[in-house]
Amino acid sequence: MATITEREAKAITSAVLGAAMAPEVIVSVRHRQTGNLRFAQTQPTTEGSVETVEVSVSATIQGRSATVTGNQTDKASLAALMVEAEELAALSPVNPEHQPPVGKGAYLEVAGHDPATAKLDAAQRAAIAGRAIAAAARADVELAGYLEHREQSFAVATSAGAFAYHPSTAAALTVTARTRDQTGSGWAGAESHRGKAIDGGALTELAAEKAELSAAPQALAPGKQVVILEPQAVAELLEFLVDALDARAADEGRSWFSRPDGGARLGEELFHTSINLRSNPADKQHPSAPFTADGQAHKIVDWIRDGVLSSLTRSRFWADKTGTAAVPPPSSILLEGADLDLLELVGAVDRGVLVTRFWYNRTLDPRTILATGLTRDGTFLVERGKITAAVKNFRYNDSPVNMLQNVLALGRPQRVYTRGGRVMVVPPMVVKDFNFSSTSDAV
Amino acid sequence: MRPMSTSRRGFLRTTGAVAGAGVCWPLVARADPPGSRQRAPVKAPASGDLQLLAGSPLLADEALAARALAAATRAGASYADARLVAWQRERIAVSDDHIRGVQRSSEYGLGIRVIAGGAWGFAATPRLDPRSVEDAAKRAVAAAKINAGLRREPVELAPLAAIVGSWVSPHTIDPWTITPQDKAELLIRASQAALAVAGVDHSAAGVETQREEKLLLSSEGARIHQLLVRIRPSLTATAVDRRRGQFASRDHEIAPMLAGWEHLEDAKLVDDAPQIGEDAVRKLHAAPVEPGERTVILDPSNLWLTIHESIGHPTELDRALGLEANYAGTSFIDPRQTGALELGNEMINFVADRTQPGGLATCAWDDDGVGTERWKLVENGVLVDWQTTRDQAHWIRAKTGDKAGHACSYADSYASVPFQRMPNVSLQPGPEGYTREDLINATEDGILITGRGSWSIDQQRYNFQFSGQFFWEIKNGRLARPLRDVAYQANTVEFWRSCDMLGGVGSYRLGGSFSDGKGEPSQSNAVSHGCPPGRFKVNVVSTAGKPSKGAK
Repeated sequence: MATITEREAKAITSAVLGAAMAPEVIVSVRHRQTGNLRFAQTQPTTEGSVETVEVSVSATIQGRSATVTGNQTDKASLAALMVEAEELAALSPVNPEHQPPVGKGAYLEVAGHDPATAKLDAAQRAAIAGRAIAAAARADVELAGYLEHREQSFAVATSAGAFAYHPSTAAALTVTARTRDQTGSGWAGAESHRGKAIDGGALTELAAEKAELSAAPQALAPGKQVVILEPQAVAELLEFLVDALDARAADEGRSWFSRPDGGARLGEELFHTSINLRSNPADKQHPSAPFTADGQAHKIVDWIRDGVLSSLTRSRFWADKTGTAAVPPPSSILLEGADLDLLELVGAVDRGVLVTRFWYNRTLDPRTILATGLTRDGTFLVERGKITAAVKNFRYNDSPVNMLQNVLALGRPQRVYTRGGRVMVVPPMVVKDFNFSSTSDAV
Repeated sequence: MRPMSTSRRGFLRTTGAVAGAGVCWPLVARADPPGSRQRAPVKAPASGDLQLLAGSPLLADEALAARALAAATRAGASYADARLVAWQRERIAVSDDHIRGVQRSSEYGLGIRVIAGGAWGFAATPRLDPRSVEDAAKRAVAAAKINAGLRREPVELAPLAAIVGSWVSPHTIDPWTITPQDKAELLIRASQAALAVAGVDHSAAGVETQREEKLLLSSEGARIHQLLVRIRPSLTATAVDRRRGQFASRDHEIAPMLAGWEHLEDAKLVDDAPQIGEDAVRKLHAAPVEPGERTVILDPSNLWLTIHESIGHPTELDRALGLEANYAGTSFIDPRQTGALELGNEMINFVADRTQPGGLATCAWDDDGVGTERWKLVENGVLVDWQTTRDQAHWIRAKTGDKAGHACSYADSYASVPFQRMPNVSLQPGPEGYTREDLINATEDGILITGRGSWSIDQQRYNFQFSGQFFWEIKNGRLARPLRDVAYQANTVEFWRSCDMLGGVGSYRLGGSFSDGKGEPSQSNAVSHGCPPGRFKVNVVSTAGKPSKGAK
């Protein structure tokens, strides 16, 4: 059940490029073998062993471009895909922002493939889920969860000579424990490129403890509060800011990063001086993709350095137009922290609210990156350094900008669960004046 | 329940003379699909041209699907179904006066689902050869048997007579017969028309089309072949005030539909574009909203999403029973309250309907092979039924008499497991026949909200906050001035109980989404919601963030 090797990937991309009449072609191949197991009501519900393939071909003829994606890899299908891309491109209007494909370049060495994780199967899924279910039974909570592992081969080639291949693995488990009377709910999750980092028993014990602690919550008045945001909550809010790091939107006046008199706010101290936000695809513990689907390299980037905005993402068109370097949206985000446990942060707070995670987060106002959402699965009152009560969930209306400006303390960074999306490693944070706008009865 | 019109121009064309008569439900089926639909309480939805299925490439692989079923049965499956699913998607996007992207994708493969030892198993492969499909079948059975050891009770499927049938969603123009150039030219004309408005700095337009074809075979003898065509147009204008560092965007409120290219032609995007541009500029210079307890009139273009989130999701039976607790969440409704819980006042009636013409979740049979239907969820404010599938019917049968489930099973790919997904859930119009203008004229002080803005709701669906596209202050029964940064926050039950006016049949419209997310791994479902405009009491909040000048 292995995914394609570099040689097999190259055979596919070469078959496509070899069939091309168009002068400019980009081809990418993504081959996945995924295993998953869902459980709820403390028993397995559905599961799957799924193979997927994506071959994506972009063709450009005299500034006219089109992208076609298929999932069949026989020679005839690949040639047909190339022809369809060319036919569509010829029919398409000229794109004045078209950029020629990237040429041969250097990519970071990333070790993201763990052979043991690639070999996980239904029996091992059941074993991990079985430990979670047994822990839930011991704690007398109702458990729901999701376990997924996958192996992936990803390759890109261009008519300008670029070729890149990246094999990787990923595994993740999330669990939600609910008290029998349905008044308490706790969540825990883990994600890694190594399956052995996933401990179903330990995660379930943490979720069960949170469920019990969160039972029968009291309503606390909304308003501005000191909050201790666990890494999962930090990441969920931070993501809005990462997605807003776009130079063109800033230059065109459509972003929080726009300078009122035009241009972007690069070089300005926009955040607390303790904030350092970086990307590093080659991070040993938390590897991520070293290139994009069009063959651009993901590099080590400092986005925010000591609170100063130092980089923005920039499309190749915008980089060309403004005479600057192109920077693709990152495959990993690392927010630096300090060597402190979550409970050490809690211990330093006189009065505040501890937030496990957020839910249904949506942008409200792109001008200020204002977002809304709700706390979920473990929201607690902290008094004099101790968790003293469960509190009802809150809706927040606040911005990650404020989070990065109003930070009081940072803890130890931790990989968070992103459903297989961008790798995010962020610390728990203590933040002042966080705006809770209303409460919710949801458990 | 009285018949109603969906009032969408695109839909009217799609269904021809029947819709032209102004009565779209119950529908006189033009071409009943062959095959039986025993026990289905309504006739099948009208089919499009079944000849479109005659030359289907899926037919060439039907023997492989049968082979997978046989392999699963040999390996010990007590039930198996095999789905051959082919997707085609196309997206054309333009910005300002030029093309931004032309994308097409296709996906084809086989998913085999089994019950063995009383547990579900599933495997999927894009490789359509005898060995690959048999391997998939064996993997699914082996995994089911392993997981059975962790189950407390076996999966139970409601008895069902095997159905043989075919269905094609009605459409008059296959979107794949229109070249990308013609599509782009129309979109560019619309985008340019918005951009031509003084004060508009950017505009964008797009169209996304879907063609979903599936052939379902089951070990019980079902054979169901269906083709669904959906289309989603969009148009946006953005106005920027650099001096104040402000900008505002305005989206067209057009709904996606189960329809062909005719929906876009009827939409008159180019004609509407100057208005969209002018609205963006007006929104930029609109007055800030005064937060507090307010009366709001919610246009169908806004209210459909509130229905989706506050009524659609909490009446999914699997959520209420904890099956989605780890991701989408549970429900504030306990199934034991069925027949008793007052979700709204007596004006409030919700109907679920997978036969509704133009509805994105409409089809003839679900992915379990159960015939689709129309049924009541909330009657005179009281919860009376749920969204269910064949393996859920026994959980609620004693309360609702559910026999084989309400045909809500759907999988979004060959590679996805079918599970309970939302049908079209719609609010029924009021009997007084009010228009939107009647509601406005009857309102001393309020806000009219149209279009879809930001939305967020908790995991049990109590507390929600929705914004919109455009906001008008209402004073003394008249639209007084545009407002900006408006959102309304409420508790679901309080919200539906606060409704004191509903529009009539003539004001009923469909809204919808291509991408309702649920399940793990997350699957996407297309679904529509119909409603008239309604008047409610809510907590209005301002979504304007304070302009920030950086740290300290």
